[in-house]
Amino acid sequence: MAIKGGGFSRKSKTSSEVPSSSMADIAFLLLIFFMVSTVFQKDRDRPIEWPEAEATQKIDEKIKNILNIWVERNGDVFINDRPYAMTDVSTTVGPLYAASDRALVISIRSDREVRYSTIDLLQQQLVAAGVMRVVFATEMEQRMTRERR
Amino acid sequence: MAVMGNKKSKVSDEVPSSSMADIAFLLLVFFLVTTTFPKDAGLAIVLPEQGEDVAVSQRNILHIVIQPTGIVDVKRGESPQVQQVRPEDIESIWRQDVAANDNLIAAVKTHPDAPYRFMVDVLDALHTAGAERISLQILEG
Repeated sequence: MAIKGGGFSRKSKTSSEVPSSSMADIAFLLLIFFMVSTVFQKDRDRPIEWPEAEATQKIDEKIKNILNIWVERNGDVFINDRPYAMTDVSTTVGPLYAASDRALVISIRSDREVRYSTIDLLQQQLVAAGVMRVVFATEMEQRMTRERR
Repeated sequence: MAVMGNKKSKVSDEVPSSSMADIAFLLLVFFLVTTTFPKDAGLAIVLPEQGEDVAVSQRNILHIVIQPTGIVDVKRGESPQVQQVRPEDIESIWRQDVAANDNLIAAVKTHPDAPYRFMVDVLDALHTAGAERISLQILEG
């Protein structure tokens, strides 16, 4: 009996498999790392009430080519989390527009109650900067809410 | 010895946890796919180039004047007749008028004190009606 199995009958005590129980932990660790280190938007949301429009369409442009200009209810203008005077918008947007190879889309994110004179001044500034494509950011309006109005 | 609890049950008394990671990933992928970033949408317009002034015949212009109260005055070309409507009525007005005149241009003039949302409402109506020749101006005087 002693020679049975050619002397190889004693099994090794260490497992021959790579331990896979912690694989999920490693995957989650990687996932959390990438989630934390990913930067999505340059600017944070400002407290505005969106205007609503039924004809709202998605902007057909990459996120990095969209520049948000926020206009708060009191008329303050914010670009990339920094407040700007209305007269400085043109000189701020101009170089960014040139750097983007004229592909930049300006998204005007304005509060719905802002006076139109503010929006008109902003448009004049954008025209002076040479910008062509502008989007008035709106929220999708359902036809039901429109009929109730 | 063999009194109680000696015979072990063959069924494992633990909840199987080997597929927990699979379930978690499945949920994760589901939420990744279904998440949308909602605010990147709006009404697109093309601004004119600086100093670009085009003379347009008065009869090709549909004047749309937005008052601070949200009432919209519609005036056709040189005709002195003014029609007072709501912003959403612009849609049908544009559809009717563009059928009669292919070269029609919508001149949206907004009062400086009018809230931005009324201009968006009118622009929305024009976009819904398929208008492409839109001029945004401010009401002067």
